[in-house]
Amino acid sequence: MPEELSLPRILPIGAMLFETLFLLVAISIEGYVLHRWLKFDKKTSIFYALAINVFSSVFGWNIFFLVEPRLDVKLKSELIGYIFFNNFKDPGTQSTIIFLASLIFLGTFLIKFLLLKVLIITLSEIGEKEEIETSQQQKSYRIEKMQLQNTNLITTTLIANSMSYTAITLILVIRNLSIGLK
Amino acid sequence: MNSSFFKEVILIFKFIQDLLLGIQKLIMPLKAFSWQTLIYLSVFSWGISYLAIGFIKDIIAFSGWLFLIAGTAWYTTDNPLRLPGTFMPVGALITGFLVSVFAFGHEVNVLTPKTIVFWPTIAAIITAIPEFFAGTGTTSKAAIPKLEVRQKVIILLAWSMLISCWLQFYFVIDQWLKEYPSLSAQNFLRSTFVIRLEPKSKTPQNGNIILNKMQPLIEEQIFKKPWSEVEKWLIEANQQLGNLGKGVIYKNLEKYDEQGLWGIEARVVNVKSGYRLDILTIWTGPSANTRGFYLQKSCLIQPVAAVNKPENQNAVAEIECDRTNKFFIGSPPPKQ
Repeated sequence: MPEELSLPRILPIGAMLFETLFLLVAISIEGYVLHRWLKFDKKTSIFYALAINVFSSVFGWNIFFLVEPRLDVKLKSELIGYIFFNNFKDPGTQSTIIFLASLIFLGTFLIKFLLLKVLIITLSEIGEKEEIETSQQQKSYRIEKMQLQNTNLITTTLIANSMSYTAITLILVIRNLSIGLK
Repeated sequence: MNSSFFKEVILIFKFIQDLLLGIQKLIMPLKAFSWQTLIYLSVFSWGISYLAIGFIKDIIAFSGWLFLIAGTAWYTTDNPLRLPGTFMPVGALITGFLVSVFAFGHEVNVLTPKTIVFWPTIAAIITAIPEFFAGTGTTSKAAIPKLEVRQKVIILLAWSMLISCWLQFYFVIDQWLKEYPSLSAQNFLRSTFVIRLEPKSKTPQNGNIILNKMQPLIEEQIFKKPWSEVEKWLIEANQQLGNLGKGVIYKNLEKYDEQGLWGIEARVVNVKSGYRLDILTIWTGPSANTRGFYLQKSCLIQPVAAVNKPENQNAVAEIECDRTNKFFIGSPPPKQ
């Protein structure tokens, strides 16, 4: 990273606006899914959707910042070409992008699931003391319930993530079509 | 008439008095243990640190920073004015900035990119800290805030971290422009992600540098050489120029990452009086036009009769290059 600051010559306004748009779309869709499948009330599900989406994009950015300086000149110039000029030089990049996109999908799914799990635990169980279990039967019933909740959580996150990715992909397709028409 | 005039004078006087009282209240601490004391301590430490030397100076300056941060934090939590739309007080923003400067600035550069990048995140953490203490002043104790407050804190932290990421992204693309300066000779109009604030430069400067440094080297290899040797040289001009070019690029573009993206090629064209050598520097990096761009310098190479050599070597070469380089957008002409 450079040590001096200079006047801005270039601003990533488009990146910020697009990311905000995508986040808003994803948050509203995933909020609805969480409300529908996990039976949270509306406010809580929007909160969970917001937190998992924004934090997972922060996580993604950090991976980008870690990887970007380590790219070799060829890959880096493809990346620069895409961000500054919206084109690729090497036709092979297209398949790399598709591979990366599926990797990112899996990655965000995992991150979102973990985040949701951590958030649910930290937000609901801290402060509220757990009731003391009386019988063994009740305990095993509880564990079973937690396992059920866990699988439920996984499927719900998967559904939510797929739906928001579909919506974002649709937006991208529409955008590409409108550029193509110009 | 007169009385109203006096009234106004008295009003103005009263206003000035109030203002002075306000300033006095701001400057003079009511109790010994207050935020003003901390600010004064920080000013005092800075003053002292100029007199000290070595590591003592650093220690005093360090405590000065701590006093300043603590003082502003105290002042700004006393009367919070909040940023519109969030529950982050403006004070946390100021304190966050000070903490960030303290953590990432150093004597030469007070403001570094890291300072700016981490500012929002630190400000959000500072906003959140008071929520984890119940009570006020000296009788506070650590406590876990209510569910609603916890949600609020998490949301604020998430957005602030995202803003930090955007700031970092800005610095990344700014760095690209520094490492690949030839990018700024193209337009960014097709970009989805960035807008440009400065006008684009006419020609890629590094391409001109390469051509202008190549010219004397080529002249040296050709000027006054026997014509037959020169013709042999021209047959393998591409290879010759490639070798020369590698050295030139390595020497002159050392500090730029884009040095690997420039290539040098030669085109030799037969003309009536001899040959025309076109030296091309070709950009293989990212460009707005997918076919890229190149710069060209043309040199005319002709045989002249050697005057002071009467023997069988009947001709030597003369070379004359264009002063200016031409800038072309698109792929270079095909190789012979």
